[in-house]
Amino acid sequence: MRLSPLLALGLALTSAAHAQTNVVFWDFFAGGDGARMKQIVDNFNASQTAIKVQRTTQTWGNPFYTKVHTAVIAGQTPDLMTYHLSATPAGLQRKDLRAFSTADLALGGLKSTDFQANLVATLNTDAKNAGTTGLYGLPLDTHTFVVYFNKDVLKKAGVLGANGKLLPMKSVADLTKTLQTIKTKTGVTPLALSSNQDSASVWRLWYSLFLQQGGTLVKDGKLSLTDLDTKGRAALQIMADWSKDGLITKNVTYPAGVALFTAGRAAMMLNGNWEVPTMVDAKAKNQLKFDYGIMSFPALYGTNPSTWADSHLLAIPNNAKTVMTPEKLKAVMTFIAYVNKQGGNTWAGGGHIPSYLPTQASAAYKGMQPNTQYSATSAKAARLEPTNAIFGVGGPVYDAVGVNFTPVLLGQATAQQGIAKLKTALQNFAK
Amino acid sequence: MTSSPAPAPAAVPGRAAQLRQRYLTAALLVVPFLALYVLFLIYPTFRVLQLSFTNADLTGNGSYVGLQNYVRLFGEPTFWTALLNTLLFIALTAVPNTLIGLGLALLILRLNRLKNVVLAAFFLPYVLPVSVVTNVWNWVLDSNFGLFNFLTGSTVTWFQDPVWALPSVAFVTIWWTVGFNILLFIAGLRNISPEIYEAAALDGAAGWRLFRSITWPNLWPVTSLILLLQLIAQFKIFDQIYLLTQGGPFDKTLVLLLYAYREGFQQQRGGYSSTIGVVLMAVILLVSVIQLRLLNRGEKS
Repeated sequence: MRLSPLLALGLALTSAAHAQTNVVFWDFFAGGDGARMKQIVDNFNASQTAIKVQRTTQTWGNPFYTKVHTAVIAGQTPDLMTYHLSATPAGLQRKDLRAFSTADLALGGLKSTDFQANLVATLNTDAKNAGTTGLYGLPLDTHTFVVYFNKDVLKKAGVLGANGKLLPMKSVADLTKTLQTIKTKTGVTPLALSSNQDSASVWRLWYSLFLQQGGTLVKDGKLSLTDLDTKGRAALQIMADWSKDGLITKNVTYPAGVALFTAGRAAMMLNGNWEVPTMVDAKAKNQLKFDYGIMSFPALYGTNPSTWADSHLLAIPNNAKTVMTPEKLKAVMTFIAYVNKQGGNTWAGGGHIPSYLPTQASAAYKGMQPNTQYSATSAKAARLEPTNAIFGVGGPVYDAVGVNFTPVLLGQATAQQGIAKLKTALQNFAK
Repeated sequence: MTSSPAPAPAAVPGRAAQLRQRYLTAALLVVPFLALYVLFLIYPTFRVLQLSFTNADLTGNGSYVGLQNYVRLFGEPTFWTALLNTLLFIALTAVPNTLIGLGLALLILRLNRLKNVVLAAFFLPYVLPVSVVTNVWNWVLDSNFGLFNFLTGSTVTWFQDPVWALPSVAFVTIWWTVGFNILLFIAGLRNISPEIYEAAALDGAAGWRLFRSITWPNLWPVTSLILLLQLIAQFKIFDQIYLLTQGGPFDKTLVLLLYAYREGFQQQRGGYSSTIGVVLMAVILLVSVIQLRLLNRGEKS
């Protein structure tokens, strides 16, 4: 019979297709870390045949969270998605997230104590504030603000120590002096910070300076504006002064800010650790004409190193219309475990600090370059966004900061005016 | 008809059946349009109206709250800022866009050669999607790398400057859409009978006089149509603002639809956002009616 081999093949194919579980996965990683996530997904799909992860990258920020919410309401959600810890309060308010039970975690051989404790604690607080309990996401990483520097330019300016690191800076005055020296000795723009159509970067620097003075925006889960007029204004004034003196880039967009630094036209860059792959890849391809270093954002007010940070989570959308089948759940948990266990160091290659403790403790991670230059210090200094639904990625505060602080950086308004307008905006959001 | 005692002539039922069939055909042809119209226009309109009386979130689940949204809206300074900015934007675009369109149409018609090439050049931006247009101008007017500032030595941050942001967006809008107005004006100008011009020329009219007494009054129906279209289009300004300024700096470019977007999509206040939509619709209706009245009066005199 000539038909039988074909028939057998057909049967084999259908049974294989039948057995394979598809996992639809949404993320928002479009940059260097997106390449890392793609690699993890590809490796996972290649490593076995029972589960196939279909990854789709959506637009970062507000559009992502709007899309997730509409998907939840329509009952047509992905099976798994990435999420920001800072967006969790808002997500819980909208009931977009499904909690992970201990049994769920066990399906992937995980437990909640496997993850960095402060992130899990924040998730628990978020749940409590929303009037519920449970673990609504699994932390993948911590990501924070770091300083990238051009060693060649800094050496020329005489502010680079023998150890290849910036000379210590203990106060805002120290940092300002360093920036001034760079400017006068080399003529290169000292610091690249994007502020044109990039409210997130402005917020990150301002919030770090605000935190280091001991400022807070949320007290007992409620919005608190008392520190804004003092510490908040001081932080904004520093940024405005740097801008006025030409010490930071004025009105550059995000890609332009990165381009200025990588082209050697800015001595330093303040940006998230997710730009690490950009530097690593450029260096590997010999496109970088200088030696670079990375350090944690310095403590400029005594010993308080607090720096803005956020965390990426893996989360399951709360699909009330179509409840997840046990097979699907098993597949999702298997993939989550893979991302954290086998994929952990690949993800760390994106510059992030992995939150899965065994990865964090692994020798491979501890020796990873250039991450070791900042990861230990940065992990300690990392302070998450205020735990309130109006803050965080996708919330309205980012826009309000961009709209009200950018004119101050451009010298079109005073710091006092900028803060006053932000206060009004925050009060409106909290209504 | 059914109670009619006399038997009808044989031809009549035939004609009735034919007539019925024709109605059926007509109905069938209209149904797809009607269905889409009801589904995507009438239904959403009434739904928004209904939502504006609820505290619904983005997805439309909420309870009735009466006029609360309207009371809040009219007491909200941000709403008045947005309304004022929208009106300012209209002032900066509707009339200039019409006048520039008219001017360019007159110039193009005077060309002897390359008329179509020039017309195509002016019309080309209109074909571009808004994202392309805003990207182009974001680069041209960029304060650091932009062509414009490079050539003029200016340091103005066009889309981030509290004074210049709205005029800059208005300029981009005119550049983008004026081609359509030129096209309408050219059609209107070609419709004016050459005999009128000849008669006027015989009477010794020329230049400005010719334009004022012949072209302008004869073109008025087209002009008023363009003004009305412009008014409605500019009231609905959103895309360019969203892509170029996000409403900044200091809410100086915050317009009504962006305000509705922020409330609806960022803050998940679907009910309140619908209220903004309803008020915007009412304002557009009101202004259109007033404008139509005024313009029609102009036509009659």
